[in-house]
Amino acid sequence: MEYLSSDKIAVIDLAAGEVEELELDEELVAQRIGGAGITSHLYAQYQDEDPIVLGAGLLTGTLVPASSLAVATGKSPLTGTLVHAPLTQYAGQELKYSGFDYIVIKGTAPEPVFLWIHDGIADIEPAGELWGAEVWQAVSQVRAQMGDELIQVLGAGPAAERGSDLGQLMINEWASGDRFGLGRALAAKKVKLIAVRGMGLLEIAEEEDFLAGCLELLKAVKAGAWGGRQGLGELGAALGYDDFAAWLEPKLHRHHAAFNTPFAYLGFLMLEGDPKAMNEPQADEPGVLVGDPGALGALKALGLNVEEAGDILKACAKAGLDAAGVAKVCQGRGITAAADILAALEDISGPVEGLSGPFSTWAPLGLAPDEASWRRRMAVAHVFGLDPIFMLMAPELSEDKLVELAALGTELEITTDTLEAVVEAIAG
Amino acid sequence: MGIKIDPLKCIACMACELACGYHRDDAFALLSSCVVVYRTRERKDYFGVVLKEEDSLVIARPEGLEVKKIGAAEEDSGGGDASAKPMLLREACDLCEDRDDGPLCIQVCPVEAVYQD
Ligand code: SF4
Ligand code: SF4
Repeated sequence: MEYLSSDKIAVIDLAAGEVEELELDEELVAQRIGGAGITSHLYAQYQDEDPIVLGAGLLTGTLVPASSLAVATGKSPLTGTLVHAPLTQYAGQELKYSGFDYIVIKGTAPEPVFLWIHDGIADIEPAGELWGAEVWQAVSQVRAQMGDELIQVLGAGPAAERGSDLGQLMINEWASGDRFGLGRALAAKKVKLIAVRGMGLLEIAEEEDFLAGCLELLKAVKAGAWGGRQGLGELGAALGYDDFAAWLEPKLHRHHAAFNTPFAYLGFLMLEGDPKAMNEPQADEPGVLVGDPGALGALKALGLNVEEAGDILKACAKAGLDAAGVAKVCQGRGITAAADILAALEDISGPVEGLSGPFSTWAPLGLAPDEASWRRRMAVAHVFGLDPIFMLMAPELSEDKLVELAALGTELEITTDTLEAVVEAIAG
Repeated sequence: MGIKIDPLKCIACMACELACGYHRDDAFALLSSCVVVYRTRERKDYFGVVLKEEDSLVIARPEGLEVKKIGAAEEDSGGGDASAKPMLLREACDLCEDRDDGPLCIQVCPVEAVYQD
């Protein structure tokens, strides 16, 4: 596969401690496009060895607006079914530039390991002291060990290691869109984390027309309903969270976007020091990035203030717990005081009610007119590698335009019929 | 007139960095960009943008702009961010002189944090 690709799949056999490299067949891309289209294909191919398959979408890491997404496909310990966990922030672009389009992680390692994916090389390394470490410590340690602070880490925390169904596949120190317990699934394979760094280059078939198409889409998006708006407060208001902006105000620091995503739906809660100050904070760990806006909304709905909710998000992030699941489980058990929730984190587990289907409601249903259109948008986002939250905000990123760009970028015959078939295959 | 950056508007999306890489390589890559988001202090939520110009390194920190003459920036390795160092090896901003539509980084920034007077 020549364009928008590194032309490589890593198949990591944990039991044997071996890595096989395969080419990414153009024919496969012409049929399944990319992202969840191909991760689900690879999952089926290696199904007997219970794989977790990581991959970026065909348009991930390009100038197509919202090109932030990587997908982790595997069997959810919570639902027992095949799921696609959305990973945004900078995880998608790093994976896309890592020299591998897809990474199949199969079997179970005899001893704890971590995976080091960089510049077209995939290594299995002993986890050593990383095993058992809390998430933030593990992130610092692996970056120090590899000597690169920009390494993106997809990892499991102590919660996942002890077998909690709420063990999330984290992105660096922060929450991801994994509400399926794929952190637990990773830890069960004795893999602590996947460290990714990419400095690759993606060729584009028709680069000028592709760029023009990207710029046109960005213009359309900026003129759309969410153009000129930013932040968690706006997102929460659209989701009907009562007085959300005012509730956030005492702790909200800066807005953040996922990679090349025009709406900044991520935000940082500064829990220590003045959230209005812009100089570098003195404290080493003054707050938490809200990686799952819905989790924050759910904690607010329990009656907590923003400081309490921030403390819980931070504790969940360090333990590697899915905070949305935590809020749901606590609500179900009648645990609503901040101190009681913090105490419950020690041994919290599932089940989490109401999970179904292959896509994460981390991208809120409330942003779509109905469930069927939500599912359709999710499928398209997970195939092309576009930010699922932003895809719900921007109908301008239409299926026709994305198909057109996919064809321009690759010179393959990718059509709306191709997309239709892939959507049907992954969304049912 | 060079590129200007308003670090407080910036949402760290890296679109400018990707655009500049495209301008250099006619492909998608980040290694040659002369405008780079520094984002290694994520735990402190401290981020900004660095731009390499012909004679200087413009460091747009959230608390304000700093312009370092290239010679001084080389000596002062403790002053910039870690990601600023390899910047010195990159080509300087040429304002996308080969593009009819002008600077690509400005065109892709979703929040007008990169601009020209
Ligand atoms: S104007 Fe062009 S060369 Fe200069 S920083 Fe922007 S994209 Fe790069
Ligand atoms: S494109 Fe704009 S918002 Fe995005 S990183 Fe660059 S300056 Fe910041």
